[in-house]
Parts: sequence; C-alpha cells; structure tokens
Amino acid sequence: MIFKSLIIFTLLQSVTLPVWAEINVFACEPEWKALAEILGGNNINAFSATTALQDPHHIEARPSLIAKMRNADMVICTGAELEIGWLPLLLRKAANARIQASQPGYFMAAEHVDKLEVHKNIDRSMGDVHASGNPHVHLDPYRLLKIVEKLKNRLVNIDPANADAYQHKFEQFIVDWKRNVTQWESKAVKLKGKKAIVYHRNWSYLTDWLNIDVIADLEPKPGLPPTSSHLVRLLSVVKQSKPDFILIAAYQDAKGAQWLSNKTGIPIVTLPFTIGGSANAETIKSLYDVTINQLLANIK
Amino acid sequence: MKFLNFYASAFALALFSAEIFASNFNPEIGVILDGAYKQGETALSGAEEGFSLGHTELTLSSPIDDLFYGRFTAVLESHDGNTEVGLEEAYLQTTGLPSNLSIRAGRFLSQVGYLNGRHTHSDAFSERPAVYRALLGSHYFDDGVQMNMLMPTPFYWRAGLEVLNGTQLSGSNHDETAGVYTLSTKFGDDIGTSQSWQAGFSYLYNRLTDIDISEEHEEDHGHESGHDGHNHSANYMGKNLYIADVVWKWSPNGNAREEQVALSAEYLYADKLNRFAASNDYHKGWYVSAVQRLSSVWSVGARYGRADLKDAHGDHFHDQQIEESNLSLSWSHSHFSTVRLMYTHQTTDGFSASGNAMTLQYVVSLGAHGAHDF
Repeated sequence: MIFKSLIIFTLLQSVTLPVWAEINVFACEPEWKALAEILGGNNINAFSATTALQDPHHIEARPSLIAKMRNADMVICTGAELEIGWLPLLLRKAANARIQASQPGYFMAAEHVDKLEVHKNIDRSMGDVHASGNPHVHLDPYRLLKIVEKLKNRLVNIDPANADAYQHKFEQFIVDWKRNVTQWESKAVKLKGKKAIVYHRNWSYLTDWLNIDVIADLEPKPGLPPTSSHLVRLLSVVKQSKPDFILIAAYQDAKGAQWLSNKTGIPIVTLPFTIGGSANAETIKSLYDVTINQLLANIK
Repeated sequence: MKFLNFYASAFALALFSAEIFASNFNPEIGVILDGAYKQGETALSGAEEGFSLGHTELTLSSPIDDLFYGRFTAVLESHDGNTEVGLEEAYLQTTGLPSNLSIRAGRFLSQVGYLNGRHTHSDAFSERPAVYRALLGSHYFDDGVQMNMLMPTPFYWRAGLEVLNGTQLSGSNHDETAGVYTLSTKFGDDIGTSQSWQAGFSYLYNRLTDIDISEEHEEDHGHESGHDGHNHSANYMGKNLYIADVVWKWSPNGNAREEQVALSAEYLYADKLNRFAASNDYHKGWYVSAVQRLSSVWSVGARYGRADLKDAHGDHFHDQQIEESNLSLSWSHSHFSTVRLMYTHQTTDGFSASGNAMTLQYVVSLGAHGAHDF
C-alpha cells in the first residue's frame, strides 16, 4: 500500500515537471544569487538561502530551505567550511541527486581561488578557524572575476542548450567589471595604508585588495563574541597604533564596537558586506561602490 | 532538456569528482563529552545523583561514495561504577536517489516525534521530558530500514516509513524479524524572514506488546519500574503510539546567532497496552518548551510537561502520574562548549521518587561537530 502510493507520487512528480524549465539555483549567500542572475538572465531562477542581515556561519537547516533545495539544479555556495554548520545537512535532507558534492550542480566558489589565512596546523583553541583558509572571498574583485568565469563554465556544462547566452553575458560582465575595478582602485588610493580594527576576519580580501592594514580583531578568537577583557586590551592597541576605523558587517552585533568607539572616538563603519546589507547595496556593483564610498567618507 | 541535463551531468561527473573528493578521504571524527552533578532524586530519571557521566559519544561520519553517506556513533555510559559501550547509530544513507527519495539502513534514531530523531547533546535541557523517558526510553533507536520522500510542494513536506526490529524499545530479545513499524510526516515553512515553523504527526505500531514479553520484562525490573535509568528500553509500551509535534522559532531578521525564541510542544498517546488492557487503559503525556537565546553566550529555557501512565501488574494496571517543570540556564563560551544549570520540580503519584533537583551539566564537543536539525 505504501509502496504503491510512493510509486504514484514518483509518477506524479515526473509528470508535473515542465518539459522546458529554467535552471533552479539555490545560492547560500546573496552575492552568488546576484552573480548567477547576471550570467543566467531569464534562463535561471535563483534563490538566496540567507540575507545580508544573517550570519552565514550560523544558519539553521530550516524546513523551508530543504524545500527550496529539493528541486534545485544547482547549489552555489561559498564553501571552504563557511556553511559547514548547515549545508551538509540540507544536502542530505533534500536528497536531490543533481546537487550532491560529486555533481556539476554543486559549486563552491572559494574552491576556485587561492585563499588568504590558510593554516597549516590548527586546533580549536585558536577559535572557530577554517582550516582551508578564509572563506569570505567575494570582496576581492579579481578573485570574484575568476569565480564568475568558473561559474559560467559550470552553467554551460549544466545547461549546454544556452551556452551561447551564458558566454555572451559573461563577456559583457568582464568588460563592465574591469572598468569598474579601475574606477574603484583610483578612488581607493586614499585608503592605502589606513588602519582598521575588524569584528571578524570577513574583510581580509577587501583590506588586502585596498592595502588597508588590519591591526586587531574585536573577536578574542575567530567565532567567539567580543569579551570585555579583550575590549579593554584593545584600548592600548588603539592608543599605540591609532586606527582609522572599526569595520563591522550589517549582520554583526555592534555592542563591542560601540563601546570601543565611545572610549576612543574611532568611527564605526557598518558595511553592507553583501547585497542587501544596506538600502543602496542592491547589486554586486553597488555593493562595491557603497563599501568604498563609506570607507572614504570616514577617513580624515 | 531534462534528458540532456542528465547526460551532461553523467559526463561531467567524471570531470569533477577528482577535485571534490580530494579532501574527503578521512571520516569526520567527533567526540561529545557530557557530564553532570545532580543534587536530588527524581522519578523516571536516567541521571544518577552526585557526579555522573552522561552520554559520551564518539561519532564518525563521511560520504562513502557518490551515492552513500555513513555515520557511526558509539556511546559510553557509566552506571553504578560499570562502563557500558552501546552502539546508537551505525547506518548508511543514500544521497542521490531520484525523486528526492532517501533510504537509510542499519541502526539509527527513529524519526517519530520532534525530539526523538535529534541527538540528546543538542537539547536545551539536561534530560528529555518525562513522557519521552516513559514511552520512548528517552530516545528510541533501533535496527531497521527507513525510507523518506519529499513531496513536490513549495513548502517542506516529508513522508516516511520505518521498519524496525523492536528490540531496543521492548528491551527483550524476540523472534520477530520486524517488531515496530512507524509512519510519520512533517510539514514546515518560513513566515517572512523572522519566523519558521514545523509540524509533524507520527504513528508507531509496536507488535511486541502482543508477544508475551511484558511479564518477563516486569519481573526483571520489579514494582518500581519507574526508577530505572540503566535500561534504554521504554518502561511503558502500547501497541499504538501516536505523536503530534509542533515547533516555532523566531529570531530578528532570521539571524539566529545572537537572539532566538524557540517554542516546541509534543503530545503522545499510547493505547492497547497489553492483552489485559481495557479501552480506558492508555498512556498519555505532553510537554511545552520555551527556549530563548539572549546572546551568543547565554540562553534560558523553561519546560513543563506531564505524563499519565499505567503500570502493568499481571492482569491489571496501577495509575501513575508525573508532572515536571524544568528551568535551565545555559552558558556557551563557544559553539563547542556549553555549561548548563537546570532546576527540576516534580509532583508524582505512584512513584517513590519525587521532589526537586538541581543539575549542573557540561556538554562539549571535540573535533568535527555535525549540523543540528531544525
């Protein structure tokens, strides 16, 4: 009886699938959804599992996410252990053959670029560090371009019928992106050598690109919330090296940064971090625009 | 189009598998250390007074190949100075079957109810609710097969079937090849970005109440079947067990790290207790739980539950009742360590132990720490 109804459901499912379908993309973070949309246009239908106001390290494997992953043709995530607390479980629960780790429908962006802060020997006393390096790669425009190229190749692989369309959109993107990078870099010359305190090491690729020096973290260890004793210690760091700003992301708790800012007068710059993190960061381009403009507005 | 995709995928598989599996040769190894100090004695409790070790778990898990995932959990428990090794999970699960079908085989936690399928170390309280301890032996795992399917709906809808041996529930060996069957379904979705919910219904059919093992079982444990933490089997059984469960969670903008409210409730009902049972002989119980994460470090929880039970004595039953309230305060230094203080207040009828207890517990995780269910 149960087998019979399962068979009926299987049949129903195959019947209700449209013959021609868009590529369903399950993106873990908004930046990958946006890039998939740039490349895919009308050929894809993308969903982002998280928003810029959510900490991507700490997402629950919610029923709604399983339902979204159920019929995805592709998952695009950061990888490098960023989503280790929820993605593997979602993949098992969704039981979707097309997007398992061995399939072309499984795309981890950070696997395609060199990573900063790769640790040879780690243990948990160092905090919640990612063994394979810092996963927050999307704020370096060069790495981002490399990822977009790999993503284009993967889309072509999954949906060869629209290969020309993906290639065309990609070529458009390169031209625009390279022009933007030149503009951002000329604007950001003034940021070179500025000093920052960061909440978490999720700015490393941005600061590395713009030659901003990160002198301290608000987190005593990666992944641990700021403690009062650590903040007190930071006071002397501030006195010695006079940083220009404290960088936090829209999703991060501002309390520790506020305390330090009140004590020292160093401005807090709350950056969007990803698309949707502030009202005017609506696209991948405006995300970079807003980020650089906010940094420039806070230097003397 | 779909066919084209399929062939393209099959071809591409060969290209991508090499780079992806390169880092996955070793299984993930995780250890849970769980210890407590308990002051006061409570009915139907698995935790001993004074210092005790709870579930010390060793878990290994890994993808086996592109079709199977495997998981192994050994549990070490200490009772009256003896250390026992138990096997709680040893299963393989498919990951790539068509139509979102998944099959699990081996030993695993039954997916009935909300709490049962979850690992106890992820709970917000030091012990499962009284009705779980009575009817499911705290958490019911067994040998068998599980099959699940996701329905093609825009919200989450899973339907599942399990065929299980039943030995771990009845606590006795028997000749049946399949003593327990379960059917369960779960629904769930989000409401906006801040709220998520899940509701489920489960049915567990226990054939072993027909087979005359209940009397033998009772002789083993004597009259005070209620005070037995040593055995994992359920102390109270029924041929039919029905469970309804609901969970609702809220966090600001869906950012659960700093702040979250989680409400959950379950109702359990078991009838046809054995061949002597009349129509008004049944077990029932429920609990409601509220847990609030105040920051990434602190969380508080409150839980109230009761269970109305029938204790079998040959051809008749004695009524038993237990009401339990818990308050808990948890401190997590990191994602991998938690220290919890829990206060338990019980009012019982038909049990020798009753009253208040304080438990100070630690739960820490070493090595790989898998994701938790919603």
